[in-house]
Amino acid sequence: MLDSEHPQGTQAATASPFLETRSLHKHYGGVHALKGVSLRIERGRFYHLLGENGCGKSTLIKIISGAQSSSAGQVLIQGRDMTGLGPIAALGAGIETVYQDLSLLPNLSVAENIGLSEQLVEWSGKLFHRLDLSRLRDSACRALEVVGLPTERAFLSRQVETLPLASRQLVAIARAVASEAGLVIMDEPTTSLTRREVDNLIRVIRRLQSEGAAVLFVTHKLDEARDIGGVGLVMRDGELVHECDVSKATNAEIGYWMTGRELQQGRYRDMQPEKLPPLLEVKGLSLKKAYEEIDLSIAQGEILGVTGLADSGRNELAMTLAGLAPAKTGSVVLGGNALDLSAPDRVIREGVAYVPEDRLAEGLFLEKTISENITMSILDRLRSGFGLVSRSRARQAAQNTLEDLQIVAEDIHAPVSSLSGGNQQRVLIGRWLAAEPRLLILHGPTVGVDVGSKEIIFRIIQSQADKGMGVLIVSDDLPELLQNCDKILVMRNGRIYQTYEAEGLDEHTLYSAVVGD
Amino acid sequence: MITIESSHNNLDGVAQKVLRNFWVWSAHHPAIFPLFLIVVTCLSVGAINADFWQLSNLFDILRASVVRGLFALGVLVVLASGGLDVSFTAIAAFVMYTLTLFVVNVVPDLGIVPIFGIAGIMGAGLGALNGLLVSYLRAPALIVTIGTQYMLRGFLLTFIGTALFMNIPSAMDAFGRLNIITATAARGSEIGLPVYFLILILAATVTWWMLKHTLIGRAIFAVGGKPDVAERLGYRVKSVRVFVFAYAGLLAGVAGVIHVTANRLANPFDLAGTELAVIAAVVLGGARITGGMGSVVGTMLGVVLITLVSNVLILVGIPSAWQTAILGAFILFAGLFFSQLDRLAMR
Repeated sequence: MLDSEHPQGTQAATASPFLETRSLHKHYGGVHALKGVSLRIERGRFYHLLGENGCGKSTLIKIISGAQSSSAGQVLIQGRDMTGLGPIAALGAGIETVYQDLSLLPNLSVAENIGLSEQLVEWSGKLFHRLDLSRLRDSACRALEVVGLPTERAFLSRQVETLPLASRQLVAIARAVASEAGLVIMDEPTTSLTRREVDNLIRVIRRLQSEGAAVLFVTHKLDEARDIGGVGLVMRDGELVHECDVSKATNAEIGYWMTGRELQQGRYRDMQPEKLPPLLEVKGLSLKKAYEEIDLSIAQGEILGVTGLADSGRNELAMTLAGLAPAKTGSVVLGGNALDLSAPDRVIREGVAYVPEDRLAEGLFLEKTISENITMSILDRLRSGFGLVSRSRARQAAQNTLEDLQIVAEDIHAPVSSLSGGNQQRVLIGRWLAAEPRLLILHGPTVGVDVGSKEIIFRIIQSQADKGMGVLIVSDDLPELLQNCDKILVMRNGRIYQTYEAEGLDEHTLYSAVVGD
Repeated sequence: MITIESSHNNLDGVAQKVLRNFWVWSAHHPAIFPLFLIVVTCLSVGAINADFWQLSNLFDILRASVVRGLFALGVLVVLASGGLDVSFTAIAAFVMYTLTLFVVNVVPDLGIVPIFGIAGIMGAGLGALNGLLVSYLRAPALIVTIGTQYMLRGFLLTFIGTALFMNIPSAMDAFGRLNIITATAARGSEIGLPVYFLILILAATVTWWMLKHTLIGRAIFAVGGKPDVAERLGYRVKSVRVFVFAYAGLLAGVAGVIHVTANRLANPFDLAGTELAVIAAVVLGGARITGGMGSVVGTMLGVVLITLVSNVLILVGIPSAWQTAILGAFILFAGLFFSQLDRLAMR
């Protein structure tokens, strides 16, 4: 079959880039998702595919990796036409794709996850062949060494689902190493990692690149893209609209190309609130194995940011205040009265809204309609005469939220799963704003959200604070905190390590406080 | 074992570590669970009645494990791929009755090897039908196999026959009487270990080898773990689904013929209703009903355990109603044990 592992340096192959797409088009039903995308990817370079949710990035990747076929256009790998040949052919030609779920098989061992593809590709997908177990282990060992994971027998035979996320991420990269990929595509690889894990990941990826692989990142994190450097490819509405040197491009420039409009840079928080009465007072709050002796206060109309590494206790603190992880000791007072944190429904009744980090697993009912998702926190207010939910009032409430939050949806009765990530997140926030809480807790409010949606979400947060709502943002997106908060708390090892005024604070100071150097 | 959590506080660090290591180890070797129950059952039955410790009893258990064991290997492979099959008894009954009738009336001199060959092909064909329905029509496996189970049984009883008959073909009769070795029971009767027991050993070895040492074996687990990821990585998910059902059908066809040779009669009403016990045996052996897990060793131990409880306890005078209760308790215990294992080993 295809002998793409060893290209025989024909004239066409030497002149052409590793990967080239020629005016790719894709139609889904009536939607024109890709409108003639042409790009060239050279070995040994970094590429960053940037664009708002729903701009066609995922579709482009799926076509390049053979998971979907294009409606028109060509995919050339080393000059060879590979259009629509399927995932095995793409793997065989050296394209490794690490989707957001890492494309790992959770119940198989580390060694199998790394080394199986190689043999599957060799038999071009035919399954009735013997598996060479010693070769499987050998390639896994070599690849694990490159990414800096252990290579002993016990680790090789460990089930991937029992590993922590950062190690799973590295296992996925090890698979790319083992298959000697010429192009590694990484779909938002750093979304759920802490800063330190991200730094390590980038180190490993640099090594891959130095050995001649091209790496294509799909990302929303412009700062990270700038740190890594390389070519920025900006997409909008199914078209490749801009190509630039990503390390020199400003957020404003990229934001403009992504959205087609100017985005606000710098701080969203413009006015300092006058001395308003305190809303939330937390004293001596402790939860075993999570955090100790937490004191904090939020005034009405104040925005407080909390950050720290994933194990710093910040997540647990947010959960406690949402009634999801009752603390053992300490006092919490909301608006002058002690707050009962023993169950989420009590906390909600007292006027605290919690928007969780993982909107898909913890927040939204994906198969339910947009309208149902928005109104589910305020059902008791929508009751009509007989205690039934009034449909017209529900529709009105949902419509209001849609307008307030600029959610783009054709039909409020469409399932939430049909929306893009940024719109989904706004539906979730909208649900809690509809409940008119006194305190809004946002946990990673813009994880996996594009800059356009980010801006809208920031404006919503600011306008709510201006109306007197207290806001607590728990996040590891430092620019987000710097842009939006009045004060920022840094947690380390379960304690509050430092409190900063956000105005005038620079990111490096904050970052060092978080990682602790 | 379920109270472990509450006693945690009293244990010092070392004991806690040992305990944790035990859980992690057990998670890797779930076969320890049926083995433990087998030992406990044997020891308690042996203590009540010393007659239990006889070679003839062992032969009895092994002999009675063959048909269930073949079924269980098929179920294991289907479960590992994330599917579920309840039609294998109907496939076995259909194949054994139709084939025996055909051989008796048309080719009475047919040898045992071609008989097994035809049974395997018939079973695999019927199984593949399940697989095609599941993978191409995307229908849930449980519903599809309930449907085909009823259809096959109805077709068999309506169009083929309802009468049991004892004049089975001579090749099958002779094969059923062939023993590897025999032992004399306490009451003087001869109990043999039949040659067809070797078929179970062969099937278990082939299945083990296939699951561990071939691409299709790993693909089965890959599909059972996360079908969408497996598809993206280039595994042919549909082929895998068709294959596992065909494999289960093949084993069911062979098991059907063995059932006839062992009992020296063909009864179209046999085997119906034993599906759940087989699935229970596989789950006792550490396979997950949700797919992606399971081993041949565990499955075989699960089968021996179920046979032990349902066939041998009667020898020591435990009433059959009690056997059912004990079986139920074991299955519940297995469900709790494995879910605890998942929870604790994941931490």
